[in-house]
Amino acid sequence: MDVEQLKLILAGIEQEARQAVQAAATLEALRGVRAKFLGKKGSLGQLMGTIRDYPPEQRGLAGQTLNAASQAVTALFEERQKQIESSEVAADASGAGAHDPSLPGVRLPLGNVHPVTAVQWQIEHVFQRLGFTVEAGPEMESDYYNFEALNIPAMHPARDMQDTFWLTNGLLLRTHTSPVQVRTMEKFGPPIRCIVPGRCFRYETIDASHENTFHQCEGLVIDRNISIANLIAVMRLLLREVFQRDVKVRLRPGYFPFVEPGFELDMSCLICGGSGCATCKRSGWVEVLPCGMVHPNVLRYGEIDPHEYTGFAFGLGLTRLAMMKYGISDIRVMNAGDVRALVPPSRMAGPTIVERN
Amino acid sequence: MLISLNWIRDFVDLPRDVSPPELGERFTLTCAEIEGVERIRVDARGLIAARVLSNRELPGSRNLRHVVLDVGGGKAVETVTAAPLLHVDTCVVYAPPGASLAAFGVIREAKVEGHASVGMILPGEAIGIEMAVQTAIFLPPYAEPGEELAAEAFDDWVIEVDNKSITHRPDLWGHYGIARELAAMYRRDLKPYPVVRLEELTDVDLPEIPITIDDPQRCPRYSGLRFGSVGSQAAPLWMQLRLGHVGLRPIDCLVDLTNYIMMELGQPMHAFDGDKVERIEVGLAEPGSTFVTLDGIERALPDAALMILSNRQPIALAGIMGGLDTEIRAQTQSLLLESANFEPATIRRCANALGLRTDACVRFEKSLDPANTVLAIQRFMHLARPEFPQMKLAGRLSDAYPEPAEPVTVEVDPRFAARFMGHPIEAKDIVEILTPLGFTVDEDADKLLVGVPSWRATKDISIEADVIEEVARYVGYNSIEPVLPDVEVRCFEPNALHELEQASLRLLCLGLSFSEIHGYIWYDSNWTRRLGFDPGPCCELKNPASAAMHLLRQTLVPGLLASVDLNRHYAADLRLVELGGVFFPESAQVQEAHERRHLGLVFARRQKGAEETLLAELKGVVETWSSQTLGKPARFEPHPADAARPWEHPQMTAQVVVGDAVAGRLAALPLGLRRAMDEHLAAWSVAWAELELNGLCTPAPVEKVRPVPAHPEVDLDFSFLVPVSARYTAVAKQLAGFEHALLKRISYVGCYEGKSVPAGRRSLTVRCRIGDPARTLVDDDIASFRTAFEGFLGACGWGLRR
Repeated sequence: MDVEQLKLILAGIEQEARQAVQAAATLEALRGVRAKFLGKKGSLGQLMGTIRDYPPEQRGLAGQTLNAASQAVTALFEERQKQIESSEVAADASGAGAHDPSLPGVRLPLGNVHPVTAVQWQIEHVFQRLGFTVEAGPEMESDYYNFEALNIPAMHPARDMQDTFWLTNGLLLRTHTSPVQVRTMEKFGPPIRCIVPGRCFRYETIDASHENTFHQCEGLVIDRNISIANLIAVMRLLLREVFQRDVKVRLRPGYFPFVEPGFELDMSCLICGGSGCATCKRSGWVEVLPCGMVHPNVLRYGEIDPHEYTGFAFGLGLTRLAMMKYGISDIRVMNAGDVRALVPPSRMAGPTIVERN
Repeated sequence: MLISLNWIRDFVDLPRDVSPPELGERFTLTCAEIEGVERIRVDARGLIAARVLSNRELPGSRNLRHVVLDVGGGKAVETVTAAPLLHVDTCVVYAPPGASLAAFGVIREAKVEGHASVGMILPGEAIGIEMAVQTAIFLPPYAEPGEELAAEAFDDWVIEVDNKSITHRPDLWGHYGIARELAAMYRRDLKPYPVVRLEELTDVDLPEIPITIDDPQRCPRYSGLRFGSVGSQAAPLWMQLRLGHVGLRPIDCLVDLTNYIMMELGQPMHAFDGDKVERIEVGLAEPGSTFVTLDGIERALPDAALMILSNRQPIALAGIMGGLDTEIRAQTQSLLLESANFEPATIRRCANALGLRTDACVRFEKSLDPANTVLAIQRFMHLARPEFPQMKLAGRLSDAYPEPAEPVTVEVDPRFAARFMGHPIEAKDIVEILTPLGFTVDEDADKLLVGVPSWRATKDISIEADVIEEVARYVGYNSIEPVLPDVEVRCFEPNALHELEQASLRLLCLGLSFSEIHGYIWYDSNWTRRLGFDPGPCCELKNPASAAMHLLRQTLVPGLLASVDLNRHYAADLRLVELGGVFFPESAQVQEAHERRHLGLVFARRQKGAEETLLAELKGVVETWSSQTLGKPARFEPHPADAARPWEHPQMTAQVVVGDAVAGRLAALPLGLRRAMDEHLAAWSVAWAELELNGLCTPAPVEKVRPVPAHPEVDLDFSFLVPVSARYTAVAKQLAGFEHALLKRISYVGCYEGKSVPAGRRSLTVRCRIGDPARTLVDDDIASFRTAFEGFLGACGWGLRR
């Protein structure tokens, strides 16, 4: 074969390639076509293998001719590749609106913490920002920590205020989180800033607003020069953080043997804004937490010198706060174990389409 | 306790422009909680006294009576009434035609069952004496028929004080103490308490009542007075109305007088039939004895019951209730009046043991002022004399007070008071506040010596903080400017258990679809019986909420299973978690060791025979939890089921191990138990895990990150067949013995049983990572590793899965 014949064959191949390239509609088909022409075993590839068959003086020309043809065919492929790619990009970006961007996602069912836990975390978060620690104590307590070290001796009428579950082993179920006050004093010594969220127990009949098992959160601050003014400021800050708005508070005398003086802290009713409604019994105020200045005897039980240190303590009803926050009207659901009564309905199923009462 | 505003006005002129609700509010803010302020509006016009002339049954009527009344001016009227006990000659409250009151409007002549009925004998409830329902209100013998009854005594305002807020204030258990606070609040004078002079009662020519107190601890003071020529008659109307307004039922002048003084001064009194009581002894009851109280009930006396005795015969339960034998009756003429002071704990213990909470014992347990015993007698005589003009002392005031209370003085540092309140205050302000409350204040250098009045000294006020409370509440808590505390910065030890609890719930609930529930900390024995679970020795409640709930739990599983049973109705796939205390009875000492914190997890799916899948998923949860919260991997070891715990599946129970510590158990629920719980659960698969958190809070060593290898590593998966009886832990241990220069790690991928796996075999897939830090692997490396590992598997007897 001479070069002239080669040129003729190449022209044919090029013609053939041009048609095949145009016929390839996808990048994948184009890659197949390319192998057919430019691969080792493709028509051009095979011709490359024949160059050494030419007489030496023609080899250079044959090589040049073949290279030129190969480049021309490669250019065809590249051009076609660009065409296909850009039409694919265009096709990807267009479409007949078949995709629905508003469809919800696919997910695992939502888990839920108990409403009391949710409120507890919120309170813990507020106090941790103020440098308080979170302490705990046993639920099965001794008379000493639950009563005596809190300045409530045996036969004290205040014991009636907290009807107690007694155990046959002489212990009791703590009636409040306050026993952790003296426990914490023993553990850390002054100064102290802690809260104690936890479960408490009172021997009373259960109904929609009374439970024998509920959660409280104790708070205790002991330092030099702690004052009533400090107590009011911290309580106001707490309520502002919990309710996410400025609330009016007022303090009035309250009696608890482990504080002196003791207070009841009222908050302006959030339902009526203080003008008086059924929730606040027309008073405009809602009793939210008992508090007071730690009684010197309690400090002494905790081996803290009441001449050097003073402090305040408060007790927040976590269960009641959770009921207020989530609109739970029957306290009995808290320990009943029925998830539906504890979780907003929208969290119980897939994304809500409509919610009806 | 109820407070009558009419009564208060005897002792203090309250400002006219203050409404009763405002007054209640002010009292709440300054002193004690007022639960309600209510108006008693009888609006009586034209009521008169009328004397019963005759009284007969109305023929044909079961309860109506025909009564003829003398209405004064020589006029008699006939009226029909349902009121009982209308003895001839007694005077009653009567509304003649034309009179009016809020309850009935204007009274007109009427016919009752065919009989003319003129006017109306008024029942108690119509004139503000709620406790005297459908009972006529009788008037004292000196009442004159036709006498107009003063309209203003009927209307009143009643303030309800929350009893719990005054448990520490014996002085507030009577109107005079409340009046003292109101006088101080409104800067008015408190009027002196009207009593007869002491000298009038201490005539030395009269005999003394012999009083013996066995133990002055239990009875610090006993005062008594004997008098005669009194009898049964009605109390004056104003007194009956006031008693009615504060919730008591008028009974008889002598009884009403003691009640009146109790409501006024807080001092309970008791009247004995004077002829039956010769002397007074105060001592303990004979062990095992009984006593008949004046309500006619024979009561078995508890140990250490304090009794009033006469010649060693019990005549009253001290501070609680009198005896039937010495009760005053209609014909009683001679009285012995007791006014005593008892130890609060003694009275309280006895009253609680008897289940007999009387108005008297409620007051005695508040630590009453011993000074009031004599004062109450003086007051009694002051009020009784006009009612019984002929009464005579039969003895002089007798008063046993072996160890008079020492006056209490408290040192107060005004600068400390200011610091403690966080509010500027000076000595003169303190004096100004304390004086109207009955304190005396002497300045001593830069301190104040505060003398505490006897009515506040029994237990209420003994230290500086108590006095500062008085000052602060009168300054007004709401006048104190809030200031955030100035505290010492301190880094506290972390509470590792609490942090673990929070991290666990965060992960499980917020990340792994669990819903948290709370259960009770006691077993419900109806439920545990259904589960076939015998709890064995447990911490036990003496006074459980119900008989079936007396044992404290040692595991969370029964509670979680109850919750599964409750929640299965609406969900086909449940993931529940509870975190809470469990209790072990080893000893009576409170040590944290006897109370532990458990984390209970349960998976339930409405699908039969899915235990393997559920267990695998639950194990995955436990692994994730362990690695993410404890920083240590969890593993599972085969463990025989505990026969005492029916929720442990005989075949499918594992022990959870974290690091080197046993953390808990994990198992599927046997079909038998699911059936026992609920027939529907037979078609479910349930798996649970219970972990004890207390021992797991040790810090985990930090695992270091390795640099990315310079030459790529390669993962090779091998699936091979092991007998189903082979345990993963054993297989893994054997695999760990494989040595090869290129091996970096062998890890578990999964297991499979089913198509293409011969019966009795399980296919395990593991992944080997190989690499050489010095060079890139070539095909021969991979081939030679494959050969070596497959050879190892073969030598173990585990053929490759084809």
